[in-house]
Amino acid sequence: MRDVIVIGAGGGGPVVAKELAARGLDVLLLEAGPRHANPRREWTHYENDANNPLTGFFRFGPADRTKPAWFRETNQNSFLWQLSGVGGTTQHYYGNYPRAYPGVFQGYAGADRGAYDTEHVFPFTYKEMVPYFEWVEHTAPVQTAAMGTKEEIYFRGCETLGIPVQTTKDAKGFAYRPQENAILQPGGNAGRTSDRELLVYPKATGCTFCGFCFQGCMQPVNAPRNQFAKRSTDNSYVPMALTAEVWAKAGRPITLITDAFVNQVHYEEKHGTPTATGVTWRDTNTGELHREDATVVVMSAGCTENPRLWLNSELPNPNDWVGRGYTDHFFDWVLGTFDEYTGNSKGVGSSARCDFPGHGGLENVGLPPALEAFTLALSDSGVRGAYANGRGKTGNWDGPTGRPLGKELLDIMSHGIDRLLNVLVITDDDVEAQNRVVRSALPADRNGPVAKVEFHGRQRSARTLANREFMARKAAELLKGAGAKKIYRIDWAPLILHVQSSMRMGTSENNSVLDANGEARWVKRLFIADNSALSNGLGGPNPTLSNQALSTRTAEKIFRLYFGGDPWVGKEAPVVSTDHRISVRLGQLGL
Amino acid sequence: MTTHRQQLSRRAFLARAGVLGAAVAAGAIVPTVTGLPFAAGQTKAGLDPVIALLRPALQELARDTINGLTTFVVPGSDPYSQAQGVSTNGPGAIHARTPDFLMSALDNFVPLPNEYVRPVAAALATAVADDKIPLPGDLTRLLPLHLNTVDEALKKLLSTDETVPLSLVIAMTLNLVATQVNPASLHGVFVSPFARLSWAEKAQAMRMVEQTDADLVEALDVNLPQPLHQSLSGVLKFVGGALIEFSAYGSFTEYAVFDKQTKSLTAKPVGWTISRYDGIAEGWDEFKGYYQGRTKVEG
Ligand SMILES: Cc1cc2nc3c(=O)[nH]c(=O)nc-3n(C[C@H](O)[C@H](O)[C@H](O)COP(=O)(O)OP(=O)(O)OC[C@H]3O[C@@H](n4cnc5c(N)ncnc54)[C@H](O)[C@@H]3O)c2cc1C
Ligand code: SF4
Repeated sequence: MRDVIVIGAGGGGPVVAKELAARGLDVLLLEAGPRHANPRREWTHYENDANNPLTGFFRFGPADRTKPAWFRETNQNSFLWQLSGVGGTTQHYYGNYPRAYPGVFQGYAGADRGAYDTEHVFPFTYKEMVPYFEWVEHTAPVQTAAMGTKEEIYFRGCETLGIPVQTTKDAKGFAYRPQENAILQPGGNAGRTSDRELLVYPKATGCTFCGFCFQGCMQPVNAPRNQFAKRSTDNSYVPMALTAEVWAKAGRPITLITDAFVNQVHYEEKHGTPTATGVTWRDTNTGELHREDATVVVMSAGCTENPRLWLNSELPNPNDWVGRGYTDHFFDWVLGTFDEYTGNSKGVGSSARCDFPGHGGLENVGLPPALEAFTLALSDSGVRGAYANGRGKTGNWDGPTGRPLGKELLDIMSHGIDRLLNVLVITDDDVEAQNRVVRSALPADRNGPVAKVEFHGRQRSARTLANREFMARKAAELLKGAGAKKIYRIDWAPLILHVQSSMRMGTSENNSVLDANGEARWVKRLFIADNSALSNGLGGPNPTLSNQALSTRTAEKIFRLYFGGDPWVGKEAPVVSTDHRISVRLGQLGL
Repeated sequence: MTTHRQQLSRRAFLARAGVLGAAVAAGAIVPTVTGLPFAAGQTKAGLDPVIALLRPALQELARDTINGLTTFVVPGSDPYSQAQGVSTNGPGAIHARTPDFLMSALDNFVPLPNEYVRPVAAALATAVADDKIPLPGDLTRLLPLHLNTVDEALKKLLSTDETVPLSLVIAMTLNLVATQVNPASLHGVFVSPFARLSWAEKAQAMRMVEQTDADLVEALDVNLPQPLHQSLSGVLKFVGGALIEFSAYGSFTEYAVFDKQTKSLTAKPVGWTISRYDGIAEGWDEFKGYYQGRTKVEG
């Protein structure tokens, strides 16, 4: 019998595990994928080796790469990009950590109040959230991003937009700024050389500008795991959870089991209320099933897998909102070609942004060649110059929207990967019941029916569609201001990677799964802590900081409700995840 | 008993999917009224030699179709690019071995191949096409017996317990669409009708796949059980997008020159040359400071 079982070691799960380990609870963290304990041996910087969603070391699948990835049905032109393994999707995220916009919380009274999805706000105030943001910002740690060439050019464009620079963490209006990101700033030789000998820790610390965030950060060479530049949870929260006894007074290290696919959450009626009691998980190597019981169960398997696990476990779903309200920031992609060097393939994936509260945001995104070509080929507007699927929108970009293929794709790519600048359009999208996860009707795998993800790209709310157009025009304006020679808007089909809110926490029991504590409305002792618990799309900011802040808050609620403890955020000082004691202990443990 | 009309329809279907052409090209059947190479074809045991000839022929068909697809996305100086009328003087998808990349992914790694593929394969094994599209002479001169033999062999291939090659299912689908776009693609160089299309016609074909053209889906859908019935058009939409995205992605990766054992490259990837990529390093001299000198911000 454990105190707490956490399902999933991605962006959210390890936060709960670490926080409760620090309080001395007996925590079991189960992760379906592998733990990449030795990145230097297991990883490379090559795009296919790393990112191929079927065969790469970053994919949603078992540790054994000769076996197929885990199937999920996507019944439309779309692409769902999630990973298994310790660190989950943060293994290849970009570490951007902007705070959610205040307008998506209950009680917001700003003049632009009506500009947000007011039907689906967080059930507590922004003011209440801020200490949790601060706690995570200190722990990760989150810092102001350093610039490379692509950021300099991006800012040059921003300076023509007639909006101010933002110099606070809180978003207060239209503005641009360097990212606040969970990337350690460059120190020593980092960012100043490509000479491998000089880029060895501690001669180099923090980000070396290698440009491989998407392939997993293992920089600088020889750095302890908790000193890797990019603060994916395999570098930050998981090391802390595994070493809780050395940095927290009452700390107790967690038990981490990988290759452990949870396929059932158990519950019983207790005092007339369904109450979670434990889980069953399958060893993905041997196929053996194991059962563990706990006082509290926390689902952190992500936006797509939580609904699947919930439905397969036949947990109550009286309002049918399990899996619904899945938001994705309805991304779009705008590309500029330049006659100067842009450094597109180098440095942190994204270190500059614009915020347009009430509409969404923009950020630069640097990519190596294959991922760049992929982004140009994902469109709902057909093939430029050939067919438009009833779209082919025109605007302040060149020609209609759509994929450049054939000669045109070659024109862009051979212009030079380092003479391109990408702008990601991040739409403030409404929570819509129709975008959701259901169980696929295709035959089940050995863990039960698989998830089917439904996204309705074209029939989204009028506000969502208008916001996307607004942001795409801003992106083109920015690129023009920065000096782009030619601007392409792709009109992406849904690229689902800012996954959010599919098991949402809400103010109303009619359209949410979780109450304001993060506990399931209809199952006691069952909590959800990851992106799926978010109430909405946050207004556009990248979701992981909000996920982790909310997960910290949820850990406190668990501790108070079921273990008689007191909250700690705002009362105690958080420990930073790069703490030397953690490095030393990891060394002793051979981790 | 199949009627004459059903036979004609089935013949048109198999021709349009590229199967008859591939079978003829590989010598699995001979389009003549006199020769009877597979007189015993009606019996189950008699199918085995046909299957032995048909299997590599179909693999060739799949490869040929995928060649035509990847050069649509990333053309080069190869014959497929030249045939589509959009080519370059340099390397493209064929040199980057993108067809191998796609075929290996489709046939070995796309998860749950049976669940995904079998409904489509089942549809392909039984679907018919109206015979408004005129077949080239040699394909009309197949005896019913020969036709049946190939048909039976194909059905057996598509319904064995082995994993159905997804690449074949996709190739047949693309070829069906190709012959709808341009009936003349039923004959010419290459094995596959899709590969014979011009670049603009390939785009037309992909449009029909993306929009899941009603005729095509109906032809494939006809015998599918519920609830898969509704899934098929969605699956096609997804596959249509993914084929293009992965042709683009694969062409610019290190796939063709990556040595798995040493985790290193044996040559410079084609896509790196095209895109003038500097390649990999542990870091770059790219740090330009902080915007307006600000290294931190407050609340
Ligand atoms: C290319 C890319 C760039 C991104 N960049 C950013 C960024 O800059 N900033 C940002 O904030 N966000 C970014 N994101 C999004 C970010 O990765 C997610 O917000 C975050 O990882 C979500 O955390 P999560 O815990 O909800 O899910 P995940 O991180 O996906 O974790 C879920 C975990 O649960 C495991 N799991 C699933 N099912 C089971 C089961 N049944 N049993 C056991 N374990 C299970 C999975 O294997 C996985 O490890 C990016 C995403 C992508 C794809
Ligand atoms: S660019 Fe920086 S953060 Fe990204 S992988 Fe390289 S060192 Fe890590």
